[in-house]
Amino acid sequence: MSDSPKDKIKYGILKAVDISGFKVLDPPVRLLFGEEPQKQVKDIAKYLLLPTLFVSLCILIWHIAGPNHKTKSGEVPTPGKVLEAYADARRFDERENEKERAFNLTGQDRLDEIKLVEKELVELEQKAAALQEKSAEVAAAAKVTLASKIDPIQARYDALKAQNKAAKQKRTEALDLLAEQVASKDASPEALIALVKKNALVEEKEGEAESVLKDKMDLIRDNPPVEVKASQLAANKIEDEVQHYKKRLAILTKENLSIKREALLAKAEEDSAQLAAATTGKEALKEAKSVVRNSERAESTSEQVYARTATIFWQTKRSIATVFVGFIIAAVIAIPLGIMCGLNRIFMACMTPIISIFRPVSPVVWLLIFQIVIGAFFLPDPASHPLFLFMNDALNPLAFLQTNPAMIFSASTVAMCALWPALVNTALGVSAIDKDHLNVAKVLKLGFWSRLFKIVIPSSLPLVFAGLRISLGVGWMVLIAAEALSSSDGLGKFVWDEYQNGSSQSFANIILACFVVGVIGFFLDRLMIILQRLVSFDDGSATA
Amino acid sequence: MNLKNITTALAVASIAPLGAEQLDVEKDELKFGFIKLTDCAPIVIAKEKGFFEEEGLQVEVIAQPNWKQLLDNVITGELDGAHMLSGQPIAATIGFGTKEHIVTSYTLDLNGNGITVSNDIWEQMQENDEKLDSPTPPHPITADSLKPIVDEAKEDGKKLPMGMVFPVSTHNYEIRYWLAAAGINPGFYTSTDLKGFTDGDIELSTTPPPQMPATLESGKNVAYCVGEPWNQQAVAKGIGVPVVTNYDIWKNNPEKVFGVTKSWADANPNTHIAVTKALIKAGKWLDAEEDGKLINRDEACRILSQPNYVGADFDIIKNSMTGYFFFQKTDKREMPDFNVFFKYMASYPYYSDGVWFLTQMRRWGQITEPKPASWYAETAKSVYLPEVYMSAAASLIEEGSLTAEEVPAEDFDGYKEPTTDFIDGIEFDGKKPIEYLNSHKIGNKDPESLATQ
Repeated sequence: MSDSPKDKIKYGILKAVDISGFKVLDPPVRLLFGEEPQKQVKDIAKYLLLPTLFVSLCILIWHIAGPNHKTKSGEVPTPGKVLEAYADARRFDERENEKERAFNLTGQDRLDEIKLVEKELVELEQKAAALQEKSAEVAAAAKVTLASKIDPIQARYDALKAQNKAAKQKRTEALDLLAEQVASKDASPEALIALVKKNALVEEKEGEAESVLKDKMDLIRDNPPVEVKASQLAANKIEDEVQHYKKRLAILTKENLSIKREALLAKAEEDSAQLAAATTGKEALKEAKSVVRNSERAESTSEQVYARTATIFWQTKRSIATVFVGFIIAAVIAIPLGIMCGLNRIFMACMTPIISIFRPVSPVVWLLIFQIVIGAFFLPDPASHPLFLFMNDALNPLAFLQTNPAMIFSASTVAMCALWPALVNTALGVSAIDKDHLNVAKVLKLGFWSRLFKIVIPSSLPLVFAGLRISLGVGWMVLIAAEALSSSDGLGKFVWDEYQNGSSQSFANIILACFVVGVIGFFLDRLMIILQRLVSFDDGSATA
Repeated sequence: MNLKNITTALAVASIAPLGAEQLDVEKDELKFGFIKLTDCAPIVIAKEKGFFEEEGLQVEVIAQPNWKQLLDNVITGELDGAHMLSGQPIAATIGFGTKEHIVTSYTLDLNGNGITVSNDIWEQMQENDEKLDSPTPPHPITADSLKPIVDEAKEDGKKLPMGMVFPVSTHNYEIRYWLAAAGINPGFYTSTDLKGFTDGDIELSTTPPPQMPATLESGKNVAYCVGEPWNQQAVAKGIGVPVVTNYDIWKNNPEKVFGVTKSWADANPNTHIAVTKALIKAGKWLDAEEDGKLINRDEACRILSQPNYVGADFDIIKNSMTGYFFFQKTDKREMPDFNVFFKYMASYPYYSDGVWFLTQMRRWGQITEPKPASWYAETAKSVYLPEVYMSAAASLIEEGSLTAEEVPAEDFDGYKEPTTDFIDGIEFDGKKPIEYLNSHKIGNKDPESLATQ
């Protein structure tokens, strides 16, 4: 191994690749530096190309199989639909940005924006009208086709029903007659029983024949031609855009911050003019009060913030923040407890029942308990609780998270569930410290604290971090469930809201959220792997 | 110069809607909760059409997962106010479920619910009543044809499972009313049975609205009573048939209210009036008609179909909101009054509405003790705040955005005229709760002597 600068770079990259856990990138890096090209190409084919192909195959199967599975909430969305859902989510986010901008614009910028929006609105409206017309045409055509399919069956159904009704009438008459005969001992009771049985059978058969036709009609009605729905959805999409532009225009012209402020100031000015012209004391007082009120209101208006709607991007950020809050709480509790458990067998014995009983409890139960218990701290007015005042007002960079009790509940639930793996692993790590190390400490007569920080913690770190890695993974999984249940803003709430929406887009959005959750979970795990490698004794050499 | 003119013109133009009499609100950034149902419309419209803005309020409208959570969030102060079931403020105030004094100054809408049965039950109902076996059967459909099915299931040792959205929701009382009118006992609440199954011929349990279609599909329920769009959703997905709307059970019945806690209302009296003003404007906008056509409903549906509001497909929301209702794919009927937000003075908070809900709570045992008639009146008066509504209306009349004919007169006592517009024709007079209770065949009955106490 030479120590040329090129090699240095190479091994640096390889080490980074290894520590970050992306070992699959090892062969391409080596290939880039011309190390054993043949072997690397082979490795790339085996460990990079084949997996890529496999994943592509899975996506292809999804693409083909998805639409074939029809549920009552629409068919399973294809990968394309999910991408479309992503594009829609982006558009939704953009719309919020546009509205917020419209709310805050001032002066000439605002006037320019009004012109622009008005122009685009006209174009959009024309487009929407054209699409609506087309959609109406398609629907009308489909109605004709539907009638042509249904009417013959309906006619057959009606005829069959009439026929069956007549037959039933006849059978009832025959039955009545036979019954009379039985009563007058002209016929055997067995014959009557046989006839009743036979009639029931015939009736069942007739009913079946009827329902076959009915089901046929229902099937046709339940499966309208796809283009009807598609054209309607296309029209709806543009109509939504029109609606958005209208709202934007309304914000620009009516709800805009500077406009409101100016109006109030103008009013105050008008009042002061009237104050100057006041002839009676009463009048003067009234006007003076009005001046003060309007200028105060103008002042408070300028502090108003546009009430943004939650989008998936913001919710993702909030989820990540929540999971870290919970995770940090868990780590702060679990590591000291774990160390104590590892150092002292009596303490371990005391903790064991608590750990064993609480570890398997479902996150849902914890959430409900925390909602009740922790909720009590924030009564009666959570918005003015010091914690939230601090988080949302004083701590400016974090204000966008809009910390509220629901977030604390979710974070506590995460902490409660993420606690155990870290605790158990820490205890394990501490109790597994090499006896020699401890003996050395004894020989050196190290005090408790230096023994703790020089021997115990460093040697148990790899296992502690392995535990923390599991904790973060558990926490992330738990969080999504907790958010869905507690309606704390985040990805969980996004999924829940979409499920409740039940629109034609919802299914695709849920799958989109599924990927977002998965990808973020993956990166969180990688982050922990890196930390774990960095504290490990073997210095993460490329061969490890 | 030119530019300045435009700016001033715009500024002046916007003074008019801002109004000279904008109230001195105590709190100008508010959070309101709602459940994904079309009858949250006044709150959403007040935000989207800028009516809250006109009162100087910045409002965030946040979807809630279920009624319990919504109420809890209002009580803890997480939300300033919310879209509530009419029964919720009353139940909370008298302490059935979570106890907290909740008040309302605004009725969000009338009607708007339906009872949907599964396809299987519908087929059996058609067998029991031949008239129903048609693409357009005669309405209203009573539960008479359902009774044999219930009886048969009971003989097999099974109680048919049905769904409603919340123990104190209109839906619970409506489906009970509909069943009881046909002699089916829906079950009683007792001090120990808080599920309301006692003595029932069926089992009526709670399911959040958006899950209703799914429970029908999975067989967890065979029928349910819920607001829109969840009945139309069942038709669109082909999993059930709405048989009756609550318009047929009780014509123009109160449905949802806008509720806040008493302490919030006391701390923010002007904000409360300002919010009520915006809601009145929104209700009026929703019910605006031209040549007998509801002109703003299309736009309202467009807004409601946004994913952060109701979020269902535009076409599904449109079905019921624009004056039609699909009972089956083949049976589209005009129902101009399926959703009433403002006309018939719908948005006024009537004491008699409160009394009706109280009588239903007593009828089915949620109120376990007999109460005197005066208690009904007092409770209704502590929950419904027509005085707030009237001061909001007065201020709107002064601004010219409302006329005096659109709201009850100043000296109105808050009780609607006695009515017999029920599916079973029994008369309800808000001033005679005990007599009303005793006029039902199925249900708790109280001693007549309480009527005069």
